[in-house]
Amino acid sequence: MALLTVSGLRKDFGGLRAISDLSFELMPGEILGLIGPNGAGKSTVFNLITGFIPPSAGEILFEGKSILNLKPSAVVKKGIARTFQVARPFRNLSVLENVVLPALLHEPSRPRAEAKARALLERMQLAAKSGTNAADLSLSEQKRLEIARTLATDPKILFLDEPMGGLNPSEVEDACRLVQRIRQDGITIILVEHHMKAIMAISDRLIVLHHGVKIAEGIPQDVVRNRDVIAAYLGKRAA
Amino acid sequence: MEIFLQSVVSGVLTGSLYAMIAIGLTIVFGVMRIINLAHGEMVMLGMFGAYWSYVLWGLDPFVSVVLWSPLMFAGGMLAYRFLLKDVIPKGELNTLLYTAGLSLFIANLALFFWTGDYRTLNLPYALMPARPFGIAVPIALAIAFGMAIALTAALYVLLSRTDLGRAIRATAQDPQSAALMGVNVQQISMITFGLGTALAGAAGVLLVPSLYLYPTVGEILIVKCFVIVVLGGLGSVPGAIAGGILLGLVESLGAVYVSVAYKDTIGFVLFLLVLLFRPAGLFGVGRT
Amino acid sequence: MTRILAAAGIALLLVAPLLTGNTFYQHLMIMVLFSTLLGTSWNLLGGFAGQVSFGHAAFLGVGAYTTMLFYLKLNLSPWLGMLAGGGLGALFALPIGLICFRLRGPYFSLATLAVAEIVRLVALNWEQLTNGPVGLLITTLPQISIAGRAIDWESKIPFYYLVATLAVLAMTLIYAVSRSRFGAYLAAVREDIDSAEAVGIDSVRVRVLALALSAFVAGVAGGFYALYFRYIDPDAVFAISLSVEMVFIAVVGGLATTAGPIVGAVVLVSVAEVFRERFAAGHLIFYGLFMMLVIRYLPEGIWGRLRLLFRFAQG
Repeated sequence: MALLTVSGLRKDFGGLRAISDLSFELMPGEILGLIGPNGAGKSTVFNLITGFIPPSAGEILFEGKSILNLKPSAVVKKGIARTFQVARPFRNLSVLENVVLPALLHEPSRPRAEAKARALLERMQLAAKSGTNAADLSLSEQKRLEIARTLATDPKILFLDEPMGGLNPSEVEDACRLVQRIRQDGITIILVEHHMKAIMAISDRLIVLHHGVKIAEGIPQDVVRNRDVIAAYLGKRAA
Repeated sequence: MEIFLQSVVSGVLTGSLYAMIAIGLTIVFGVMRIINLAHGEMVMLGMFGAYWSYVLWGLDPFVSVVLWSPLMFAGGMLAYRFLLKDVIPKGELNTLLYTAGLSLFIANLALFFWTGDYRTLNLPYALMPARPFGIAVPIALAIAFGMAIALTAALYVLLSRTDLGRAIRATAQDPQSAALMGVNVQQISMITFGLGTALAGAAGVLLVPSLYLYPTVGEILIVKCFVIVVLGGLGSVPGAIAGGILLGLVESLGAVYVSVAYKDTIGFVLFLLVLLFRPAGLFGVGRT
Repeated sequence: MTRILAAAGIALLLVAPLLTGNTFYQHLMIMVLFSTLLGTSWNLLGGFAGQVSFGHAAFLGVGAYTTMLFYLKLNLSPWLGMLAGGGLGALFALPIGLICFRLRGPYFSLATLAVAEIVRLVALNWEQLTNGPVGLLITTLPQISIAGRAIDWESKIPFYYLVATLAVLAMTLIYAVSRSRFGAYLAAVREDIDSAEAVGIDSVRVRVLALALSAFVAGVAGGFYALYFRYIDPDAVFAISLSVEMVFIAVVGGLATTAGPIVGAVVLVSVAEVFRERFAAGHLIFYGLFMMLVIRYLPEGIWGRLRLLFRFAQG
């Protein structure tokens, strides 16, 4: 039974068709990677599913029920959380408060929300920075904060938007391990990533998007040998 | 039919001056992403400049515009350099509030020095309207219209053909990339603010023979200016022109065909509708 | 420390009008408290929630007209009238919020300006309801007794205690909000609306609620205005300048602080008085100047800066 079913998803921006007839299923417990050349529409897919922009056509079912046209906060309440490509914490609030706010969603009492937040910060190795303003964190710390915020909402699905962007190789390894641990905790993951080695290593399946169209879907080893995929990235001659 | 044509002519003439004021506001927004609430006061200062040059030195406003435009340009640059530059990094809202304070300050300083009396400037050669094809065309407004067109055309040439213009457009599109290309964004911001102020001031000079002048006239003008700039799309010069003419027409026709009492309301309602349903402006070219 | 200050403040509040027989000073005290009420109302939306409204006078005016009309036409007691004023203000805020909150930042601010102007123009022209530019006048306030003694409406003292109570209640409301989950959500929305949505905060609901509360307080303040000045017309209660004053009080005093509006109110009223003697509208010059200086050098407001210094001194 698919956790998330996307069918016929379409998005037009004026005369430009950004996403055409996209359909796929997300199975519980899997890590699905979304790849494609720049401008393929990957972030748009995220924004469509998580409610930040309205689709022009199509249907999105979460646990069998439609989440089409819901506000982003409503989608989060249902159990789908996302990170942003460029981290967007509450810059002038403390790291702790940044995690307490999402925790309040399912834990309305402040003391319990704080406890939950502190536990998450421990997990993300950010406990030492709880009192710091979010704006003063380093890049990798900000990314970990993003993840802590999403985990505080008890999501069933986590959308990660380029989690490895800007990280050095050892940080990338840590990030991969973190993603796998999150999956082990029972959270299903979709991620967009340009770092090929990383996404190939951790994804169970890949979907390739090109000019808003799905051109391949399958296990990483197969997808990477697919001629259309190679053509999309490197040009027709290389395929 | 004659009334209709009369309204249209009147609307277009006034609208063109509105447009010029709005262009000033929109280019400042385009480059710096700030909404200058004191813009109406720049127009007012231009109006008073022209008024005093006429009353004290006998200078016809259509001549003194040559004096006041560069002065306002310089004034605008100084205002940016010494007032706004350090406030802008504090954020959109703070800048908005700051310009609100500036607007209050300038308008009431003017009120203090020049009193709230309504003044007019009656040019001897413009007392009777011309009557081409039986339609009354106020002469002063017609000359103003002509000069506004000339100034707008000059601005167009500046923006599209010169290096400075290209730098301005680049900064408006993407300040970071522009900076990477070697554009001095601070300098461009300063120049743009100067240009915006000059346009407002010049519009004021051109308008003074046709409008009542008083220190708080900026209040109404700034609101109309926003309506125009939102209708036309924030940041778009052609949009500001179209929006200005449109507002001029709406007011003119509205006064005749709807009701004089509610004619200002129509503009606001239109404004709200556009903000809600087409925040990128009627023509969809504005920045949201 | 806060409690001591608050207790001292309330004690001072209770005795202040009795310290002087001069009705002018009593009027000043009333104006300071009234301005505090206005600033507190605006601060809830503008300071805590970060949504800068330039049209708050609309809610004040709605409250004023509601109270006046309920009293003059329906003979409703002024107390209930003020509450009704607040209620109607809040009700009025709902559609306004749902419309205007589709916009962000400066667009929202401009929309509020447009809405306030529309309301003013409607009030000016809908003579059947509002009497248009002529305005409404209360000639006699009702006979009301408290603890067996009839209230002397000619004296300023009852009005003082009335507005003092309203101000204290409003500030208590703000204080409670600032410590609640709702207050935390307001801070999130102020920081970054999309980020707040992404963590499950319904930003529209939060903003509309803040607006409704803010409008309620403004509406009640409007009711007080009607009763105290006994005369209202569209240009007095729906004026842009009134909206700007509300912004001023909160900004100069300290955005997102409970006590900031008090400081802002004191500055506003003092400046107005000092200059009322010399030039007619000269005080507005200084409002403008103050706003500019505060934003440039003291963006956290006078009270905000004092608080910071105090914490710094405490170590």
